[in-house]
Amino acid sequence: MKFLDHLEEWLITFLMAGATLIIFVAVVHRYAASNTGSIPALQDWLLTLNFTWAQELTIIMFVWMAKFGAAYGVRTGIHVGVDVLINRLDEKLRSKFIVFGLFAGALFTFIVASLGGYFVWENGANHAFLQLMGTPVGDVPEGPTTPDLEWPTWIVYLAIPLGSSLMCFRFLQVLVSFIKTGELPHHDHGHVDGLDDDNLHPSESNRGMKEGIK
Amino acid sequence: MSASFIFILLLALMLTGMPISISLGLTVLGFLFLFTHVPLESVALKLFTGIEKFEIMAIPFFILAGNFLTHGGVAKRMIRFASAMVGHMYGGLGLSGVLACALFAAISGSSPATVVAIGSILLPAMMKAGFPKKFGAGIITTSGALGILIPPSIVMVMYSVATSTSVGALFMAGVVPGITLALVLGGVTYYRARKFDYPRLPKASWGERWKTFRESIWGLLLIMIVMGGIYTGLFTPTEAAAMSAVYAFIIAVFVYKDLRFKDVPRVLLNSANMSAMLLYIITNAMLFSFIMTNENIPQALASWMLGNGLGVITFLLACNIILLLAGNFMEPSSIVLIFAPILFPVAMKLGIDPVHFGIIMVVNMEVGMCHPPVGLNLYVASGITKMGITELTIAVWPWLLSMLGFLMMITYWPSLSLWLPRMLGMVQ
Repeated sequence: MKFLDHLEEWLITFLMAGATLIIFVAVVHRYAASNTGSIPALQDWLLTLNFTWAQELTIIMFVWMAKFGAAYGVRTGIHVGVDVLINRLDEKLRSKFIVFGLFAGALFTFIVASLGGYFVWENGANHAFLQLMGTPVGDVPEGPTTPDLEWPTWIVYLAIPLGSSLMCFRFLQVLVSFIKTGELPHHDHGHVDGLDDDNLHPSESNRGMKEGIK
Repeated sequence: MSASFIFILLLALMLTGMPISISLGLTVLGFLFLFTHVPLESVALKLFTGIEKFEIMAIPFFILAGNFLTHGGVAKRMIRFASAMVGHMYGGLGLSGVLACALFAAISGSSPATVVAIGSILLPAMMKAGFPKKFGAGIITTSGALGILIPPSIVMVMYSVATSTSVGALFMAGVVPGITLALVLGGVTYYRARKFDYPRLPKASWGERWKTFRESIWGLLLIMIVMGGIYTGLFTPTEAAAMSAVYAFIIAVFVYKDLRFKDVPRVLLNSANMSAMLLYIITNAMLFSFIMTNENIPQALASWMLGNGLGVITFLLACNIILLLAGNFMEPSSIVLIFAPILFPVAMKLGIDPVHFGIIMVVNMEVGMCHPPVGLNLYVASGITKMGITELTIAVWPWLLSMLGFLMMITYWPSLSLWLPRMLGMVQ
């Protein structure tokens, strides 16, 4: 269980950093390739590098990040709802609504996971599976590929069933722990790291500010 | 019939307190299952293709950039620069707060982040300097709202995603209203500080001003990167967002050194968490707007309005009231994603400029963030000042009232928003 938690965190952290770096490098490359006319050798080399796939890869990475991040978000309680009304109810009724909400979350993600799984199966996974097993493929279609990277789309779309199943699992996990302990994970939107211990250290020559602060 | 079913189901599900994204998704599934023959598998595909757009990716990048920037260093130096410039006037640190919020808003795309970054440093300082708590809280809560009006703005990206309006044009259109609102809030601060005779700072010399400017230059340069990059066509808005994330990372870790390298993964994880939540709402809201269009609901609404002789003025007033009411229940991103697809086609039929309509929505969201029960800025400010929400609500009203006046001005004076993008040739 701990391993799954870490894997999830590690995966979305990596996808976030990776996508940012890829776009950064692609932009720098595009800019450099069109502005190094004075150094032909460098420009020629830059022009041999092809970054047309960058945009597509970023999108794929972010979609995966979004699907697994949404599951992580259930664990951290970041998915906001309209709780104005139920917060006014008495404790017992309120917890009934919360259980209902968590159950609805599990139901929805379960439906989406099954629909996504079916879709992936029909769009190439079936073909790939048969090929892997060495059985004749028959008229099972191979499924489309992505335009730039030419990856099979079913692998890319696998994010939906996998992410949604994980999310369903997280909803059930939170549901069980809520019934047991009555506690919900809560995300504090107002909190930002690094500011608690930090305060103004006005530099010595900064007279105006120092008098204002001290 | 089907329209009322959709709305009643959505409202009922939302009021149970379940996540907005889930209630949107279940409404769509319920409707498709009971009323139509649209194959359900297409829903799964929509869940992927809903966010398969490069424009949407600006959101995680801006969130990441914002999280690198809120780590103190940039905000601190901007506050110093602002107080050196306007601290000697009536309102002193309060006026500096408005200016610092406006500057920080120009590099951050979120309002609560602006409140946290500026407020957590400035509010304690204001209390020490002898300002009443509620004066400072009122300023920071409302000025923090500038975060989504002054570009870059995550809410504007959301609007552009929902309506296919150009993000660049929206960003440019936010500049003049943003500066105007900063002036309005600064004016209220000045007036009240003068009336109650609050403390002022000694006047800083030009040498000191230059010094504080030079120290905050790394943060201020980011404004040039984002706006300049988009305007000159060097980057698309998404690329500009990615560039600012990398730039903010370098500033925070290597230049100002207020973020240790080992904390970077945690910042990445937190940003991913927040982005994934927003992207999840977007996917489900896309499904929702898909059935809206499928059922021709916006068209029906538009022809009903035109049939009853309701014109632009009534429509905009109604929009403002609906959006302000919605601001009582939901946070801005969800409101924009749910209401823009419904109201936007009507606005287009009435001949309202898409960019102007976007700015109206954004200003409405700003007002909603500053009043209870769900005003996020209010909760953040309450966390910093340890004031109760009721007390804060009273503290905020002089600024909030002027914001409502500003909203009317934005609504009925399109040129205020459209002048700059028109000048730059981004809208007709």
